[in-house]
Amino acid sequence: MKFIEEKLKQAAKLFEEGKPLAKFFPLFEAMDTFALTPGKTASKAPHVRDVIDLKRVMIFVVIALTPCLWMAIYNTGMQMQIAQGLPFSFRGCVLSGLKQVLPILLVAYTAGGLWEVLFAIVRKHEINEGFLVTGMLYALILPPTIPLWQVAAGISFGVVIAKEIFGGTGYNVLNPALAGRAFLFFAYPAQMSGDAVWVAVDGFTKATPLAVVAAAQKGGSAIAALIQAGYSFKDMFLGFVPGSLGETSTIACLLGLAFLLVTRVASWRVVSGCFIGLITMSLFMLLFKGNDRLAFFSLPPHWHIVMGGFAFGSIFMATDPVSSSATKTGRWIYGILIGVLVVLIRIVNPAYPEGVMLAILFMNVFAPLIDHFVVESHIKKRLKSNP
Amino acid sequence: MEFITVKKGKNIPLKGKADKRIEELPLPDRIAIKPPDFKGLRLRVLAKADDLVKVGTPILEDKKNNDIKIVSPASGKVVAINRGLKRALLEVVIETDGRQNKEELPVLPSEDVNALTRDDIIKQLLAGGVWPCIRQRPFSKIADPYDTPKSIFINAMSTDPLAIDIDFVLREREEEFQTGLNIIKKLTGGDIFLCCKSHAGSKAVTEAKGVKVYGFSGPHPTGNASTHIHYLDPIQKGELVWYIQAEDVIRIAALFLYNIFSSERFVAITGEGATKRIYKKTNLGAPVTHLLEGDIKEGMRYISGSVFFGTNVGVNGFLSFYDSQITVIPEGGSRKFLGWLMPGFNKYTVSKTFASAFDMLEEVSLNADEHGGHRAIVLNDIYDDFVTLDIMTYFLIKAVIAEDIDEAERLGILECDEEDFALCTFACPSKTDVGGIIRKGLDIIEKEG
Repeated sequence: MKFIEEKLKQAAKLFEEGKPLAKFFPLFEAMDTFALTPGKTASKAPHVRDVIDLKRVMIFVVIALTPCLWMAIYNTGMQMQIAQGLPFSFRGCVLSGLKQVLPILLVAYTAGGLWEVLFAIVRKHEINEGFLVTGMLYALILPPTIPLWQVAAGISFGVVIAKEIFGGTGYNVLNPALAGRAFLFFAYPAQMSGDAVWVAVDGFTKATPLAVVAAAQKGGSAIAALIQAGYSFKDMFLGFVPGSLGETSTIACLLGLAFLLVTRVASWRVVSGCFIGLITMSLFMLLFKGNDRLAFFSLPPHWHIVMGGFAFGSIFMATDPVSSSATKTGRWIYGILIGVLVVLIRIVNPAYPEGVMLAILFMNVFAPLIDHFVVESHIKKRLKSNP
Repeated sequence: MEFITVKKGKNIPLKGKADKRIEELPLPDRIAIKPPDFKGLRLRVLAKADDLVKVGTPILEDKKNNDIKIVSPASGKVVAINRGLKRALLEVVIETDGRQNKEELPVLPSEDVNALTRDDIIKQLLAGGVWPCIRQRPFSKIADPYDTPKSIFINAMSTDPLAIDIDFVLREREEEFQTGLNIIKKLTGGDIFLCCKSHAGSKAVTEAKGVKVYGFSGPHPTGNASTHIHYLDPIQKGELVWYIQAEDVIRIAALFLYNIFSSERFVAITGEGATKRIYKKTNLGAPVTHLLEGDIKEGMRYISGSVFFGTNVGVNGFLSFYDSQITVIPEGGSRKFLGWLMPGFNKYTVSKTFASAFDMLEEVSLNADEHGGHRAIVLNDIYDDFVTLDIMTYFLIKAVIAEDIDEAERLGILECDEEDFALCTFACPSKTDVGGIIRKGLDIIEKEG
């Protein structure tokens, strides 16, 4: 490793104050500390520090996302093969999936990364590795047919408007990946919703499970409608259904969750809250199913969990510590309300068959308010206990 | 004795514990008084270079209250008055003459300390130079003799990594310790809380009379004064308590029993960089080289105090006034390849992101490496598990950063000291100086009154 250290030391001279490349120091610093740890020692007490750093935290989220990424590639390819009526081939699925997914991921990372570096250079701070997570999350919640220029437009909105103008990673109110997707959703609905965007084959339309239920006959059984459309519980749990890239496979999300919980990178309170909220609210809605009600009312909770982006959203997006509540009690409330809102938007507002994105963004906005009440009650308790 | 168990916090199993064996060192050639040790005082030097001083000769005095004096812990000659940026006083170095001549102190009106009034005691504490042993909360600064605290805390424990076992040092000092407590009792109308570890063994502590004895058990920072105050007599705005280290109770007693300024100090030599790790009886302000008896190595960091709250004094530095520990750890700072990715079987972490977290390491070797770049706070929920006070740390530091002092006070900053947040700074993946932010908040509040 001495060789790398020497080379980096030489390169560092080019980026020193006063040298022509000085402006690009953040870029060099990012590459430098990517290869080797910074090696800076504590200037004052405490004189010892934990070995964990933010790079590692962020990389761990990316690692947790890899099962979803692989499923995204595989399932995208598989849906294409099915649509084209080709015989099943594992290799074919992976290759055509890669062809579809990789450009989206690369464009998301490049376009977003450029903004990230630009802001770091202008603001003269180090490049924050939070972007590694944002770029991946963002790519995984897009439909497979999205035009690449829209990928770039969406991530630019997410990074610049939702994050950088607030001060960058750590200061944002909204989850930047979701904000980018929401921007596309409302700006270019034709490419973000409907039945034609979920399978990357021209002219091919297929409704997602959520759209199937939303369109089902009033008073009918949601499960029957799904089965009729060819969507079994198992397929949805494993992820072999059309949908946004990374969201379809519940099991891949659960693998990621297991990793995040073992390493304690994600808040178990938020995830538990989301599931409790969704299960309670959908059970409650079951009470209202009836002949003059939408079929959605009859959908039991475990089907809600495997459909749409709920698992992905509650595990990877809602748990973003920066845009969620920061108090322990607040995280429960925040999670539960996300679960409740998901069901409400899905069932009560049939204009949007999917409610996860909006539910999380809505609660992102409310998170500081929840924290405010939790903190105030803490202060009241303090004043009472020390009179 | 009543018992209190604290659940939050964490003990870091740092390598380099000192054996409980006391060895007496000869008087060092030089000692130093370090004005920055005395928080809350604005000091003026009374001595000049080449002045001859005795044990107890005033060397510094507070500009605001001239009665508060810092006295020499050794007899000899002032050889250097070192200043830093903006002529800030850093060190007054005294070359000892080995005779330890004592300064004459005013005679007490009565030999029986129980017959003395509060005013007599305060006058003698000030004249004898022992007053700086008494500190106050909030702000962790040296107490104002014109104040009356609502209670006084004697701290006879420390949970800092590798800290000295004060209970062990107090063995066979019962009489002096009790005399000290009797004197301190006169300083307040309120309670005296003597806080020790729950399995304290020295009679000085377990059989102390006239005070409330509490045994604390729990991980660091259970031994911090803030924790004791929080559990026993929490402070609100406008209130103040005083706190004294148990060793200094004996210093106070010596002033009244023998009419001298006692300059003894027990120091634990700790850390993996030190070879002879035992307790040493020495003099206040002793130099590091003397304490280590010349056992000096390259690439080490020499800390007066613990790794959590000590000062990096360097190999040519001196023991700080309130410290009873020297910690020597490797400086570190070498760069590791792909550190963010490696499993890390031998890296210590309180998180669960390294392989070592799942295999309980018995002892860990830590150096001064920060292990990462500074970032904005992202994992904002990790702090509270490491703070023993009922504080919402993340919201408190946000209030301080925004300089919203009212909010910081409502969130309980007055109960805090920066040392209480050392573990937060240790654990933070964004390498946020949590304690430094708390200190900044306290400084602003103090300045604005």
